Amino acid sequence: MSEESLAPSRLEERSRALFLESVDGLDMATRSRLTQARHAALAAHAARRPWILRTPVLTSALGMSAAAVLGVTLWFGGPPGSHGSMPADNQSTFEDLDLVASSDEGSGDAMEMLQDDLDFYAWADKAANPEPAA
Amino acid sequence: MPGFDTLPAAWMVWDGPAPAPKGAVLEQTRQLDKFLAEIERRAFRMAQVALRDPDDALDVVQDAMLKLARNYGKRPSAEWRPLFYRILENGIRDLQRRRSVRKRFMAWLPGPKEDPDAETQDLVESVADSAPAAPEQLMQEQALAKLESSLRELPARQREAFMLRNFEGLDVAETATAMGCSEGSVKTHYSRAVHTLREQLGEVW
Repeated sequence: MSEESLAPSRLEERSRALFLESVDGLDMATRSRLTQARHAALAAHAARRPWILRTPVLTSALGMSAAAVLGVTLWFGGPPGSHGSMPADNQSTFEDLDLVASSDEGSGDAMEMLQDDLDFYAWADKAANPEPAA
Repeated sequence: MPGFDTLPAAWMVWDGPAPAPKGAVLEQTRQLDKFLAEIERRAFRMAQVALRDPDDALDVVQDAMLKLARNYGKRPSAEWRPLFYRILENGIRDLQRRRSVRKRFMAWLPGPKEDPDAETQDLVESVADSAPAAPEQLMQEQALAKLESSLRELPARQREAFMLRNFEGLDVAETATAMGCSEGSVKTHYSRAVHTLREQLGEVW
């Protein structure tokens, strides 16, 4: 190891002393601007966002994920009349299926109801168009 | 990544250290303020020696402060000094590179050539006040001017090593971190810088 790395030489001491004197002799305008710069840096430090929001890729990924979740939610849980289906719709759908299934059975009750309906329609037609007197 | 490698639902649960309470954040901000206040003038003068222009030096120092506060403010305060000077030296190098490109570009243009150093004021003038200089003070100013002139003539890496080690008082490891090189390189750059400066300043000092 050289001697100059063990103890500072005269050149090192003198140059350091001159440099520090020049630092002490900085004018007030420069000092003021440095103070303003420091305050700006501290304000940026105080307003520092979480690391996950400071990464552009992660921010984009988070935004796209949120949009996807919102889209899926609206698609499957949207208002009646849209592609979505509410619980009430499910119930009425099942009731309709029951009616269709029961009518397909060809039971006696269903046939009687159909006959009653035919009689009713025939009576209504006669009432609306009475036959002229001979 | 700490904290995300222990639980299966890692993306939902953070098991790392709890967020720092408000008092700790205030204390950290206070420490950062103290650190920046302590080094800002020396950093400015070092940037001024390298760039010759006080406005450019101020811009580079301000940028380094902002980057340190934003990106490394949460790091242990012992790491701030080498990190700050690494940011500062990178900023100085970037600015010098831009100047070089601009100078080459201007050389291609017709008309009067722009001299980037034309408007730079003498560093001694910016440091000294308006009081009449005593002979002793005049000699000090001349010595400082000669020192700065000699520092500017050094290769950039030698100048960085000399200023960081001698002016800022960083040890070899911190200087290596600040310069982004090995400790051996720091010793080599510093030794060569001292040798060259001794040759140049020997007559004056």
